[in-house]
Amino acid sequence: MSKKFFLILTALVMMATLGWAQDLALKGGTILTITNGTIENGTIVIQKGRIAAIGKDIKIPDGIKIIDVSGKFIMPGIIDSHSHIALTDINEATDPVTPQIWMWEALDPGSDSIQKTLAGGVTTVKTMHGSANVIGGVNVTIKLKYDRPIEELIISGARQQLKMALGENPKRVYGEKGRSPSTRMGNAYVARKAFIEAQEYKAKWDKYEKDKTAGKKDLTPPKKDLKLETLKMTLEKKLSVDCHTYRAEEIVWIINFCKEFGIDLLQISHCIDGYKVADIMAEAGVFYGGWVDSWGFKEEAYDGCPYGMQIMYDAGTKMVINSDSPVVGRYLFREAAKVLKYTDIPENEALKMITLNAAESLELGDRIGSLEKGKDGDIAVFDKHPLDTTTKCLMTIVEGEIFFDYAKQSVTARGGSR
Amino acid sequence: MKKFTHVFLMLFLLLVVAEAGMASDSILIKNGTIVPIKGGSNMVGDLLIENGKISQIGKNIKAPTGAEVIDASGKFVYPGLVAVMTAIGVTGYPRAGNDTDEVGTSTPQMDPYDAINPEDDCIEVTRMGGVTTVQTISGSRSVINGKSVVMHLGGTLAEDMIARRYVAQIFNMGATEQNKYPSTRPGVVSYLKTKLNQAKDFAKKQNEKDQKSEKGKKSENDKEDFSKRDLAMEALVPVVTGKIPALFITNNEVTIRNALAIIEEYKLKGIIRAGSGILKYADRIAKANIPVIWAGTESVPQRWESHDLNFHTAAVLAKKGVLFTFDSGGYGPGSRNVRNITTPAIISVAHGLSEKHALEALTINPAKILGIVDEVGSLEKGKIANVVIWTGSPIQGRSRVETVIIKGKLIPMTSFQTRLFKKFKKIVGERMKKK
Repeated sequence: MSKKFFLILTALVMMATLGWAQDLALKGGTILTITNGTIENGTIVIQKGRIAAIGKDIKIPDGIKIIDVSGKFIMPGIIDSHSHIALTDINEATDPVTPQIWMWEALDPGSDSIQKTLAGGVTTVKTMHGSANVIGGVNVTIKLKYDRPIEELIISGARQQLKMALGENPKRVYGEKGRSPSTRMGNAYVARKAFIEAQEYKAKWDKYEKDKTAGKKDLTPPKKDLKLETLKMTLEKKLSVDCHTYRAEEIVWIINFCKEFGIDLLQISHCIDGYKVADIMAEAGVFYGGWVDSWGFKEEAYDGCPYGMQIMYDAGTKMVINSDSPVVGRYLFREAAKVLKYTDIPENEALKMITLNAAESLELGDRIGSLEKGKDGDIAVFDKHPLDTTTKCLMTIVEGEIFFDYAKQSVTARGGSR
Repeated sequence: MKKFTHVFLMLFLLLVVAEAGMASDSILIKNGTIVPIKGGSNMVGDLLIENGKISQIGKNIKAPTGAEVIDASGKFVYPGLVAVMTAIGVTGYPRAGNDTDEVGTSTPQMDPYDAINPEDDCIEVTRMGGVTTVQTISGSRSVINGKSVVMHLGGTLAEDMIARRYVAQIFNMGATEQNKYPSTRPGVVSYLKTKLNQAKDFAKKQNEKDQKSEKGKKSENDKEDFSKRDLAMEALVPVVTGKIPALFITNNEVTIRNALAIIEEYKLKGIIRAGSGILKYADRIAKANIPVIWAGTESVPQRWESHDLNFHTAAVLAKKGVLFTFDSGGYGPGSRNVRNITTPAIISVAHGLSEKHALEALTINPAKILGIVDEVGSLEKGKIANVVIWTGSPIQGRSRVETVIIKGKLIPMTSFQTRLFKKFKKIVGERMKKK
């Protein structure tokens, strides 16, 4: 490849990057920073996709596009750490152990679900493998940059999470096929067996790599196994785990299991019984991922209890509100308001459950989830306070670019509703 | 045998009277912001409940002797919310197994009354959310599903709770069968029409028979002739004669159109439950005075539709003068969270519906649709005392329900969820102390 070609390519890439990562200033709104209180009549300046300045008396650099948001409310882009949007496929439900599945290979950046979710002020989602398998695929955390190349959506450097699932779903899927697992004992056995094999696989590879480094000759590398490769990455903490489970005994089980194997368990999704073992979850530092008031839609979800969030809050359990649905993903801010209905948890803490806590559950707390200098320019603009449930999202900005604009995309803007 | 029936009836009546007597305790709600919905404007004042009914609304009402006085200063007093199309009482929880959706393409004779479980956990959870009256349907997955009842969520026996035995028959225009007739939507239309034709014939014969017996020409054959009874047809007669509404479940434009055609052809008292596609027919529906149960607020619109089309639909329905309410959030498992009947109303208000119309859609409109507007749906003198005290408007997600009164009785603010909370607060607390 010639030097000239390389230069042109670099220039093109740079231009593209500069052209996309826009500079933008939002002026005059009430800014809910999440980490540093509320700024009335504040200004945010975004440059190269990052927050360059935020505060009350900010000088906006010349030539920057200014959006007047007087009377509006500005919050960090909402984060949904349990979603299945923008995927062409969700469940490789052919085997209870499928860690060889990588969800980015099903990612459809042109999916309409991205646009519809953006309209709810959401800027980041972890879009996941389904819950048919005890060990499912590797989820993918994305920015909602609608219809861009997937490299722009996938957050580079973010540690992705392996999906696991316990309880009724794998039991049902494989039990109905006359296969194991068909019980919770079977689920546990399947998980244990897989990770023991992965330990053996890792030991073989570790030995091989050690011998290679030591300069040993005539080495034959062990056979590659794509399933075990992912599990090896999990044991090496290159991947973390999000486990779908409802019941208290399973929550305790997966915490102990991950401790035993040295696996980083970050979030328990569908964590209906979390409040029953709030102290244990808090001690393990694992995030509650779930809903506010869902219950009883299946047997293992029976004990869902909206008041339980208070127990978790008091015990120091970290909490995240998820949608698990393209429907609820469009109004997570309304779900956050329900926290105030059922508990005495403060407003800002409720907002954290859809912003900073969610960012931390994705290990992206230094990049997203609050409005601070240096963080990504991911912003949602609302016409009222986002916990006033009669509000609506007016604008969604991802890394300084407007990806949703109510003024252009609402029914009325599109010529009324017949 | 007949004498016995009379005795039982007398006993039953006595029980009812006794029950009513127990409810005679009066309750005075003082200094609340009263939102009557109908029959007056919002005002800070008092509301008196006597003998299970609202007996007075005004300022400085004197508490009758022995009345329970509730201070509602800074609080808001609303009529209990009314939710349509629930499975409350037949959800199978707890420990009863599922009792919805009897097998069969046509089961008009199914009556939720026969299966209401007063211990259904959904009852306590729902009324704590401010919903005091619900329509419970027998099923939704067949073409002809069955009857539906209206009940108040207070009482220990189905008989005490049920306000109306047969408020609507449930048809589903999209209930296609797999590998058997009707497996297409046009098939559903002809299947339903055939049944309605049969019912009309049956009604005609029944009518002739009645006229004969009225004229005293009762023959031995007509008397107690059980071979001629047909429970399915008997259930459809009030529908084809326009006495009982037919509630049509539709999910798209095609099924709405088919429902409208049948309502018009058979001159039925129709109700349309719509999941999407309703706006195209809103004018026709408004003109024909057909009530709508709008179920699509939360649905994600189609690819080519604007993101807020469904959020905005209720506002358009209100503008066009359609009598509408919101669906209770999904029949079946959705019935666990009928307390979230406010959610579609809240979303609609965010997208253009007035709060007044939203509140009507949760109270007086469903009461009208279910034919019980004389009894519930607003705070008016003489109506059944289903009264709820909120910390704010039901159109705010954070508003809490503080007091629930159903048929004049204070409802304990407990459910299995509050009991779980208490239990595990203690357990977790004790474990943490030990550490």
